[in-house]
Amino acid sequence: MEGTFREQLFFIVLCLSVLNGDTRYIQENKISPEGLFSLLNSELKREIQDELIYSRPLRCLDMVALEGQFTFTADRPQLSCAAFFIAEPNQVITVEYDSVDIDCRGGDFIKVFDGWVMKGEKFPSSQDHSLPLMERYVDYCDSGTVRRTVRSSQNVAMVFFRVHTAGSSFTLTVRKPVNPFPCNIISQTPEGSFTMVIPQQHRNCSFSIIYPVEIKIAELSLGHLNSFPIKKSLPGCVGAGDFVELLGGNGMDTSKMLPVADLCYSFNGPAQMKISCDNTVVRMVSSGRFVNRVAFEYRVLDRQELQRIKENSVEDFCFNG
Amino acid sequence: MKLNYFVTTVVLLVAFLPRYECRAIDSSGSVQRATSPEPDALSLPLLTRLGEEYYIRLGNGNRNPAASKLKVMNPESSYNQALQLQLTQRLLQSNVGNISRFISGFANQLDDSAERGRRSDDPPISLDLTFHMLRQMMELSRAEQLHQQAHSNRKMMEMFGK
Repeated sequence: MEGTFREQLFFIVLCLSVLNGDTRYIQENKISPEGLFSLLNSELKREIQDELIYSRPLRCLDMVALEGQFTFTADRPQLSCAAFFIAEPNQVITVEYDSVDIDCRGGDFIKVFDGWVMKGEKFPSSQDHSLPLMERYVDYCDSGTVRRTVRSSQNVAMVFFRVHTAGSSFTLTVRKPVNPFPCNIISQTPEGSFTMVIPQQHRNCSFSIIYPVEIKIAELSLGHLNSFPIKKSLPGCVGAGDFVELLGGNGMDTSKMLPVADLCYSFNGPAQMKISCDNTVVRMVSSGRFVNRVAFEYRVLDRQELQRIKENSVEDFCFNG
Repeated sequence: MKLNYFVTTVVLLVAFLPRYECRAIDSSGSVQRATSPEPDALSLPLLTRLGEEYYIRLGNGNRNPAASKLKVMNPESSYNQALQLQLTQRLLQSNVGNISRFISGFANQLDDSAERGRRSDDPPISLDLTFHMLRQMMELSRAEQLHQQAHSNRKMMEMFGK
């Protein structure tokens, strides 16, 4: 009887622990400031926060993958400057203006762009972004006093700036809050894996890898009513509201890239393809009626593979004559 | 007869003078146009790829920019990215003619380009950068991120040791 009562007591304690979520902390292995801060007194917390805020000068041409404060100080007129920001796929970027000392009337500007733009091509493309193009540029001189923080829609953003006077300066505070439903991502690395999920949303999402890669699709789940091919009069994926396309091209804009493959039926892979372009994109088009998911991994092609593809490929549209 | 000979010689000399643009394309530092992303070069630090110029394109995004003039600098012995960018800036500023073509009249062009941008969906401000340079910048930023993460972890462990 006593043993049975003890077992019941243990069972109740276990259930209570599970309901309180205490088991989460057992699984927490990553050293994170948030997890450790709760154990410290306020003085120590303040000291650590000052130590942990990263800061460095911002260069005229720069790329920033960190949170922190970045200060640009002009030692001479700088008329053509840009800085890229990039975060993890499941993060967005917020840029906050601090201590801005520029002469807007004299032609200085600081413009944050929601995405990346290079050689006149932007990512995400206009088709895949909710804002019109001009609204994606936020000019400090137009709205800086009102809107001091700009938030990106995806894991990349950039800032263009120009100062005419030596001594002009500004500070940008960059943070990377979590994005629970990432859509439109540029990979920071030439190799990796990702699972893109569009949960019943009518939107198009692209995962861009600015390298020639081999893509292995491990799983594709398109929420058709059944897994059998739907009888259509048109071949391929024409008419499918939900599909995945693999794109290749030499620019940033996915709408100007060529489709290498269209996938509109669910399958468990792996299905692999080598795309020898400067930019390789996995793009999912979703009607909003289903939950769609694609899991894939990618690795960069080496020189020998590229040479072999160039020799064998009938249509090597990514090779310039 | 002598005049004909002289004119022919001048014409031949002018026709076969090496062009600055061709020299740039042939230089070893030229951009690899999607044929090979140089995965070996990916492991090289940025300092060996000095001299790749870039432009900020202002105005009509449809305008075909001048071919990036690429110059190979002698590799630096020390890893100093700020210095590299300073050099790149000097190279950029030395091509005053090219830069002014993009920047002159910006104040007047801004309204026009904004209007054109609305119509044509071309970004009014763009950066003419090669993918190769973009990749190297990404690698540098990734290395900086990992270094900072390691530093941050070390600092926290030191704090907890007090």
